Amino acid sequence: MFQYVIRRLVYGVITLIALSVITFWLMNSTKGDALDRLKSNPRITQEVIQQQTEFYGLDKSKPQQYLTWAKNFVQVWNYPDAWGRSFQGTQKVQQLVYERFGGTLRLMTTALLMAVLIGIPLGIYQALKQYSFFDQTMTFASFVTYSTPIFVLAIGLQIILALYLEKWTGVKFFYTSGMNSVHYADFSFWGRIGDTVQHLFLPSISIALISIAGYSRFQRASMLDVMHSDYLRTAKAKGLSRRTVIVKHALRNALIPIVTLVSLDIAALLGGAVITETIFAWPGMGRLYITAIGANDWPEVLAVVMIIGVMVVVMNLIADLSYGWLDPRVRYD
Amino acid sequence: MTEPSAGPGADDRSLDLAEGISVEPLTQWRLFRTRFVRHRLAMVSVVVLGIIVGAVLFADALPLANPVRGLSDSTGRLVNLLSPRRAYWFGTDDLGRDLFSRVIYGGRTSLTVAGLTGLMVAVFGTVVGAVAGYYGGWIDTVLMRFTDLILSLPLLPVAIVAAASLREIFQGHEAIALAVLLGTLLWGSLARIVRAEFLSLREKEFVESARASGARDRRIIFRHILPNALSPIIVNTTLVIGSAIILEAALSFLGFGVRPPTPAWGQMAADGGRVAVTGSGAWWFVVFPSAALIVTVLAVNFLGDGLRDALDPTQTIERR
Repeated sequence: MFQYVIRRLVYGVITLIALSVITFWLMNSTKGDALDRLKSNPRITQEVIQQQTEFYGLDKSKPQQYLTWAKNFVQVWNYPDAWGRSFQGTQKVQQLVYERFGGTLRLMTTALLMAVLIGIPLGIYQALKQYSFFDQTMTFASFVTYSTPIFVLAIGLQIILALYLEKWTGVKFFYTSGMNSVHYADFSFWGRIGDTVQHLFLPSISIALISIAGYSRFQRASMLDVMHSDYLRTAKAKGLSRRTVIVKHALRNALIPIVTLVSLDIAALLGGAVITETIFAWPGMGRLYITAIGANDWPEVLAVVMIIGVMVVVMNLIADLSYGWLDPRVRYD
Repeated sequence: MTEPSAGPGADDRSLDLAEGISVEPLTQWRLFRTRFVRHRLAMVSVVVLGIIVGAVLFADALPLANPVRGLSDSTGRLVNLLSPRRAYWFGTDDLGRDLFSRVIYGGRTSLTVAGLTGLMVAVFGTVVGAVAGYYGGWIDTVLMRFTDLILSLPLLPVAIVAAASLREIFQGHEAIALAVLLGTLLWGSLARIVRAEFLSLREKEFVESARASGARDRRIIFRHILPNALSPIIVNTTLVIGSAIILEAALSFLGFGVRPPTPAWGQMAADGGRVAVTGSGAWWFVVFPSAALIVTVLAVNFLGDGLRDALDPTQTIERR
């Protein structure tokens, strides 16, 4: 077990190294470079460009640049400049990512909570009412949702729940951009909470919807699996009430497999956040990522991609460990 | 799969003859067909996909407006953002281009990328999985470590950064660049499935007998084992094509897909969304490209579902 975790962590580190090399190589493979805007500006003297080039270490060879970056990157706790400086302005990348991390975290937690709290009960209920009209409808609906790109969901919700709802009722229910209103600081306590919810709802439900579809389908299948098992027949045959059978015998076992799915899904949610944050102008890491790619700003791109990579590696490990933790029949070797 | 002399069909006939009842032998193909036809949504999907693929393939022969040039009316005014009408079934976009034509030509982009991706995934995933599963040992270890590495990369972030630089390198050939990129990122799960199939199939008696009669490795892999592992390959490739359409759309939505004015569904939905959220009321601009995306992906996924039900009888058939 201990050996297994160590081995997985070693693989994880190899994955992260590969991820950083691939990203660095991709970001540096295009003709353009981050100082293009400076170079094309006739009012910037050659000296300034020279100075900037040295400041960012761009005069060194590519492999050297990568090694310098990697050596500094892992020393994040030693000094505040470890992740380099942004090419757009000269802010510390660490600071930029730190500012944006909270936004993504808020979005992700809400979306995940929504997905778990809606998707899982939905799946259970569908399984209990198998082949009912509700079950059939929801199965079809989740299939459709699962086949819909996240940006279509996001735009659709923006147009229907923000634009048209406001047009028809005259009341502003939801905001379509940003994390809070400009006058947020002047609001009362409840005003602030209301404002936060109004901003948070649409982006997080767009991320959550696809997961809700996935979880409910999965939970339905796993619940049905348990409902048809021998030990459940025994429990029924003993004369236990339907309630006891479902809650104590069926639910407990049917909830095990979804834990793995949810921990694996967090990685996919992070990917979805990149798109959703762009659509809702949400100040998170995802939007930082897209703008940084557009600006050829590889220190920022690498920082964000590495954070996502670490999360994916950790979540994959947790998912695999949760198998064995929840099901004693699984062995690691 | 289509040979009537092999498989359970032949045994059925001898059994029936022994009992004196004459029954048409059921070939594997017929068994597959009956089960597939029973999946109603999959059948509908085949028709829908047939229409979409046909329209996309023969787009040049159809009487469509130029998808990349704005149209003007008789007075020379640009006909931008017209609602759907007889002349423009899906209306026109903000630059006065016929949306119906753009949706069809956009499908050409999306389906080319998805189709090429599917082909790459099928070939690469099958070969890697087959070699790893058949030979085992260090070859298996090396190949599967590599597969795991690809599978543990964060898909969308890597796809975005790769698309952003590949479209600079392959200017004018973005569709092929996207297909190569998506193919490279998506073959992992198929390789794992094929490997698992090969691991169990290589121990079967028919493989042993083939080897005993002197067949070489390549023949055993391609003639004896691969046909038996075809079902999961077909099903998985179909589902990969579905996710490739979504990924391509996401990339072109973010502006990392084919270069405008060449249409692609994701890029059109992005433009349409921008126009719609300003409150212009031009719903058709965002609705039709999005609907094309949803319908196509849905049809591909239902097709995959139907194929799984039909090709793998051990799985319970769930009616929808």
